[in-house]
Amino acid sequence: MYGGGYIFDEPNKKQLREEEQHDEPEKLAAFEERIAKGEKIEPGDWMPAEYRRQLIRLIEQHAHSEIIGALPEGTWITRAPGFKRKLALIAKVQDEIGHGQLLYNAAETLGKSREAMINDLLSGKSKYSNVFNYPAETWADVAVIGFLIDAAAIVNQVANAKGSYGPYCRALERICYEESFHLKQGHDAFIELATGTPAQKAMLQDALNRWWQPIMHFFGPPDKASSHSEKLMQWKVKMASNDDMRNQFLESYVPKIRELGMTLPDPALKKNEETGKWEYTDPDWEEFFRVINGGGPCNAERLQVRKWAEEQGRWVRKALMRPTEKRALPVA
Amino acid sequence: MMNNAAISDLIIKMADDELIQGHRNSEWTGLGPVMEEDIAFSSMAQDKIGHAWALYRILHEDLAGPDPDKFAFLRPEKEFKSAHLVEMPNGEYDFSLMRHFLFDHAEAIRYESLQDSSFEPFRMLSKKVKGELKYHTLHANAWLMQLSKAGEESYHRMQQSLNDTFALAAGLFEASPEHESALIADKVYPGEKELFHRWMDRIYPLLVQASLNLPDMKTITPVYGGRQGFHTEHLQPLLKEMSEVFNLDAEASW
Amino acid sequence: MSNDSLDPRVNRLKLGEAGEVVKVEEGENWNVYEVFHQEKRGAHHEHVGCVHAPDPQLALVFAKEQFARRKKCVNLWVVRSADILAFDVEDEDMFANNMEKTYRDASGFKVMEKINKFKQSK
Repeated sequence: MYGGGYIFDEPNKKQLREEEQHDEPEKLAAFEERIAKGEKIEPGDWMPAEYRRQLIRLIEQHAHSEIIGALPEGTWITRAPGFKRKLALIAKVQDEIGHGQLLYNAAETLGKSREAMINDLLSGKSKYSNVFNYPAETWADVAVIGFLIDAAAIVNQVANAKGSYGPYCRALERICYEESFHLKQGHDAFIELATGTPAQKAMLQDALNRWWQPIMHFFGPPDKASSHSEKLMQWKVKMASNDDMRNQFLESYVPKIRELGMTLPDPALKKNEETGKWEYTDPDWEEFFRVINGGGPCNAERLQVRKWAEEQGRWVRKALMRPTEKRALPVA
Repeated sequence: MMNNAAISDLIIKMADDELIQGHRNSEWTGLGPVMEEDIAFSSMAQDKIGHAWALYRILHEDLAGPDPDKFAFLRPEKEFKSAHLVEMPNGEYDFSLMRHFLFDHAEAIRYESLQDSSFEPFRMLSKKVKGELKYHTLHANAWLMQLSKAGEESYHRMQQSLNDTFALAAGLFEASPEHESALIADKVYPGEKELFHRWMDRIYPLLVQASLNLPDMKTITPVYGGRQGFHTEHLQPLLKEMSEVFNLDAEASW
Repeated sequence: MSNDSLDPRVNRLKLGEAGEVVKVEEGENWNVYEVFHQEKRGAHHEHVGCVHAPDPQLALVFAKEQFARRKKCVNLWVVRSADILAFDVEDEDMFANNMEKTYRDASGFKVMEKINKFKQSK
């Protein structure tokens, strides 16, 4: 499902310079030249320690977001109305787990095991997208998530798919293909409610109102507030600025929401025809950081459910462990 | 002239089993023991619900039955014909896997028998689901073999689950007395008794291979009642969930 | 604890306490198998990713749903990642001159030029 709003580890400049000196300058030059030429970096390649660290962090957060993201939507699996909606929803939630699988594998090629990543998720050390710490209260929430959060995720993931790390790009290629199904089925459910009975419309409007701020948060803090490293852009780890992606999302989807007669809970939201940029009321960024640090309405439940799943599955996994067997991380 | 009431009864039994079993299995989606298995189990949950849908459509299209969505999601509990096995909550993964093993072999046997049915929609459907059921039973067999040979705890869990599920699974083969002889005479299907024997012949060698002991048939009473509308306490809460959104406005399109 | 989730599925679980420490042991997600996908008969098997599995049999069972639940597929291979042998990246230079060795390539032979020259000389 979802990228977006990653919290990059802001390296302090001094530390970065020191690491660069550690990293052999010739190799670094060759590495940067490769990226500048648009070539991909592959698992066995030499890479700066900082590149590896930031990529693991990025891909890991993305993977966690997928498997945690399965929970808010899973809320409605048994209640989804009718065969078509039900099957599409189960298939979508299944895809999120599938995306998590692909992404953990991609991160593993950088040297961190799946188990270590899961442990960092469970302990709260590693983050996931804030948006999944909000509850899916009604069926209309499923439509809003499936349409708009998947749309936001696509904006983010299409950008990341042009990044420099081969295994991550390959995973994203497959993920984006499946996201187009998510977006379509979400849009379809959204339209059904938007063009339905007054009660259905009201339900959808209520969901939109509640989800709008988390969606605006989705791409992360404004550029002026986040001093994202130029290095990460140069290394093609971070592919677009938060504000640019947010703007791209608004450009594509606000009209699609409004054409159905739905409104958005921000009176200031409009496109500035001169600059071509969308203007909006800044969402509450204090809330954003509060939720990241565990203060959202569903943080505790999400992790408890994830822990339950790991605990429940433990005997199955342990029974079939073969500790003496030759093991390796994914090769590509 | 086919006995439509009898065929409808058989379709509803089969479809209700698949619908409820599919819902139970879908409760594992996102919560499985390892991501790869989560994905596999979810696919099979989808397949089950898909089979139920196909059966309700036969009822609707070939036998002038009601709209599949309304029939599946808005029927009162009393009119459901699901067996008790599929209604049981998921429990731990051993219970879910053992139920999957017993149910899916029963399902596979049933569809195989429908390849020769005098009722054409059954013949077509059995052809269509053949590959899916092959995967389901392959998956079930693989897990059964592996976990039964993976140390003491795992073995005991599998044996205990077999003890817990076997009488319930035998209840899948509950005949409807008023329709059974007509269905057999019309060659719609070979009848529950025959299917039960075929099922036993199929699962017995697999259980032996897994070193699991089948409970003594003399001590087992198949759990019947579901086909007649008598259900466990677990069905009604699930049906309430399944109808919740529809019930906001049953006339609206969702 | 009693759950108070919006998800009826979650309300059926017996969740642990918030703050409970749950740790997964290294190796608990088993070994890694590379997956190769054949789209149609006659085509090569192509690498599409990997699965974690305890043995080849379950690797194949898992690969089927993770890598062939949508796209066209007629067969899959799984191979333990630890058994894959590959060149080091530093050895890329061994392949560097491939394109220059035109004597291995049809384009390296200008047959028509020679024929035309011969015809003109007559």
